[in-house]
Amino acid sequence: MNRRRVLALMGKECRELARDPLTIGLAILMPLVMLFLFGYAVTLDVNNIRLGVLDEDRSPASRELVDRFTSSGYFEQSHAFDTTRQAEQALQRGQVRVVLVVPRRFQRALVRGEAAPVQLLVDGAFASSAALALGYAEAIVASYPAAPRQRIETQVRVWYNPGLRSANFVIPGLFAVILMAFPPLLTALAIVREKESGTIEQIYASPVTSAEFVLAKLLPYAGVALLEMALLVGVGIVWFDVPFAGSPALLAAASGVYVLTTVGIGLLVSTITRTQLSAMLVALIVSLMPSFLFSGFLFPVFTMPLMLQLYSTLVPASYFVEISRDVVLKDAGLVALAPNLAWLALYTAVVFVFAAWRLRQKVAA
Amino acid sequence: MGRAGALAHALACAAVTPTARLVAQGLGRRFGPRWAVRDVSLSLAPGETLGVVGADGAGKTTLLQMFAAILDPSEGSCTVLGGDSRRDSKRIAAGLGYMTQGFTLYDRLTIEENLRLAATLRGVSDADYGPRRAQLLAMAGLARFTERLSGKLSGGMRKKLSLCTNLIHAPQLLILDEPGLGVDPLSRRELWTMLAQYRETGVATIVATSYMDEAERCDRVLLLRDGQPLALDTPSGLRTQAAGRVFELRGSDLAQRLPALRALPQVRGLQVLPDRARFQSRDPAAAPVPGSQPAVPVLEDVFVLHDTAIEPEAPAAPPVTLSTPGPGLVTRDVSVVFGGFRAVNRVSLSIQPGELLALLGPNGAGKTTLIRGLCGLVPFSEGQAQVAGFSLPGQIAAVRQRIGYMSQRFSLYLDLTAQENLDFFASAYGLRGARAREAIAQATAQLGLTLESGRLVAALSGAERQRLALACAILHQPAVLFLDEPTSGVDPLARYRFWWLIRRLAQGGMSILVTTHYLDEAAYCDRIGLMHQGALIGWGTLDALRAQTGQSADASVETVFVQAIAQATAKTGAAA
Repeated sequence: MNRRRVLALMGKECRELARDPLTIGLAILMPLVMLFLFGYAVTLDVNNIRLGVLDEDRSPASRELVDRFTSSGYFEQSHAFDTTRQAEQALQRGQVRVVLVVPRRFQRALVRGEAAPVQLLVDGAFASSAALALGYAEAIVASYPAAPRQRIETQVRVWYNPGLRSANFVIPGLFAVILMAFPPLLTALAIVREKESGTIEQIYASPVTSAEFVLAKLLPYAGVALLEMALLVGVGIVWFDVPFAGSPALLAAASGVYVLTTVGIGLLVSTITRTQLSAMLVALIVSLMPSFLFSGFLFPVFTMPLMLQLYSTLVPASYFVEISRDVVLKDAGLVALAPNLAWLALYTAVVFVFAAWRLRQKVAA
Repeated sequence: MGRAGALAHALACAAVTPTARLVAQGLGRRFGPRWAVRDVSLSLAPGETLGVVGADGAGKTTLLQMFAAILDPSEGSCTVLGGDSRRDSKRIAAGLGYMTQGFTLYDRLTIEENLRLAATLRGVSDADYGPRRAQLLAMAGLARFTERLSGKLSGGMRKKLSLCTNLIHAPQLLILDEPGLGVDPLSRRELWTMLAQYRETGVATIVATSYMDEAERCDRVLLLRDGQPLALDTPSGLRTQAAGRVFELRGSDLAQRLPALRALPQVRGLQVLPDRARFQSRDPAAAPVPGSQPAVPVLEDVFVLHDTAIEPEAPAAPPVTLSTPGPGLVTRDVSVVFGGFRAVNRVSLSIQPGELLALLGPNGAGKTTLIRGLCGLVPFSEGQAQVAGFSLPGQIAAVRQRIGYMSQRFSLYLDLTAQENLDFFASAYGLRGARAREAIAQATAQLGLTLESGRLVAALSGAERQRLALACAILHQPAVLFLDEPTSGVDPLARYRFWWLIRRLAQGGMSILVTTHYLDEAAYCDRIGLMHQGALIGWGTLDALRAQTGQSADASVETVFVQAIAQATAKTGAAA
């Protein structure tokens, strides 16, 4: 590689970028839009579940049980029913998500120390929130001081995200997904644009090698991606109140490795496509979609079938989702990150070599 | 080197010499099943200029890409600057300048930055860069604009800067793909002056072109047709091939004699010009056509000579006289402004019924925008126009009923057959049933078009598509017909025939406006308009324009155009 040529090409790339306010604007704005959209929309917390009550007992004990539901903060009582039929209809129409049925003689059974069954009807159409609601409801029922039965007290302590706040979990994951979404999109256009305008033929017909050309594209766009990362982290901390437990320098260094991978993928896409439109589509398909589904950003990878788990190892975001959460939430050190970082570095090298090889410096061989 | 010297030199180089800058042997390139270029063998000596001449799609760019070692040949071999084009492409690149047809500059870099980038990429030392930069920018007349973004340059300036970026490393071989395309005649001249100056350094040059005058400036010319080399010789050598075969017929009774002339078996390649007919004799030994005079052959005649294709001489029906000949077209100071850019600048012209007017000018001069304005496709920012008796912009709907428009890329549906295209356009003009069938029959007969059923337009040749597009544009017998670059990408024979068809339409009473960037084609038209940077800098008959610009009666269209640009520039300069 000739350093002078690489520097000259990088200088050209930076100037073009700096004189293209539209691209810069998009590069800054799009990640922020996505951060805000997903920062607010993707919340796994379930609050204010609409609760209907069919209280057939109408006793102080039954009223207290209902109170415990509503005062937990997870449920709000929106309906009271007189008949089972009413309750069924409300559940079917989606007016309530959970129905608590307290049968006749509930209080009497309690007083006598007999088993006092209550019924919970849960709308299972929203499977994940139904499971959560069920969990909350069971916990509330279990904690109801019924018979003085012997119980094992569990003391639960949640580490790293004690409030179990979704944002703390979602935002660091979003860093990984967003850096996989937009930098490749920008760079996918970078070489294709030169193919479309024809300037690339000048490069082919010059002593510039394909490795030099790809490297000179890689570094400036990686710089833009790092800027995006800094912006995302800043907004994440200031706006979304995500606590930053670890070392900013370590996260910056790890991001450096990661953006080389993502930008490299964009360049690879750029070398195999011919038009800007197809480059954008391919970039979306290979980068954005898998990183949503298979990175562990929302859906844990370890619960997936084995084939998909193997597939997820091909998704670079899966490594950085872990790195990002480890540093931001767990204050992980370099040693803990090393395996994931090593995979990313290897990934980058493979992508770079492949992109340089694909850009064969010929119109057609 | 004088003409005779150049000739002797070129002939001496025909044999493979050890110092040859480029040697091609049996060179061919296939894309899928189709051969883009085949059987090219030649050798190029230092200091020699080779012209590669052919219509669009003849394979010029493919051949040049193989010469520049950025496209591997499918067969044969190419040795460039001593290296094999397949294996040593990067070594070849160091000594090569290759100016592609499209954009070779980075629009967001300034002139200086583009030049500096090209120099650095090609390893020019700082010591060499300074003086070469100064020399090249001075030659190109760009020294004053070094800080301007290249995206803001005119077509001519861009081409000159491109040439500079390809000369900054003093290449041994310079390959230029259609350098004259999209460049005004003045800049084209300057470009060739630069090349001529640079040739003295011993650089070998290969130029692809579809302009015959550019070909005339080369030491040797390779004629390409459908990827096949037709001939390789000096320009004068080529013209000699056509000597004694080209004739002209003049006279006031020309129009009456044409049908008989066309019917003669030995006549081919008939060109019908306003004042004369020009043709080739199929058999040099045959008795001459009575009244015809031998004419001086030009390079294009050699193409016709080598064109072995059977001419599509389907008899065309006599011209149809328009039932209601329109009052033609008049514009007064019309302008089209996009943002701050005046694409069309205060153009005033008129076309009489039955008149054929050619708008000449390079790509980007505003010809297409003017036509689109006259069709009501873009609103005029200023000025008024009367088209076929209706005024724009007030009566757009009425105007559209009375005009025909054939756009630059022949807007036909490629996945429909010719018949289906005609049916569609007929219905678009509101023609139905028997009236539609009648209109289609008339238009196709008039243009000698035979409709093969089941054949998609995608499978038709450029010339067939051209006539089909014209048929679609005249179905409703428009009073005014606009043809935007109808002749690009079409071989000479088909072009001659197309001009004759257009002329016959004009005889039927249509007012016809044609744009072209081939200046020679002005000869087919009654009057011509010269467009430069959005303004109409001259219009009238060629003779009138010659007189206006103070040129002799045999001055070429290009000379007149260059002089008109100079006059226009002086006028705006004086006004400013």
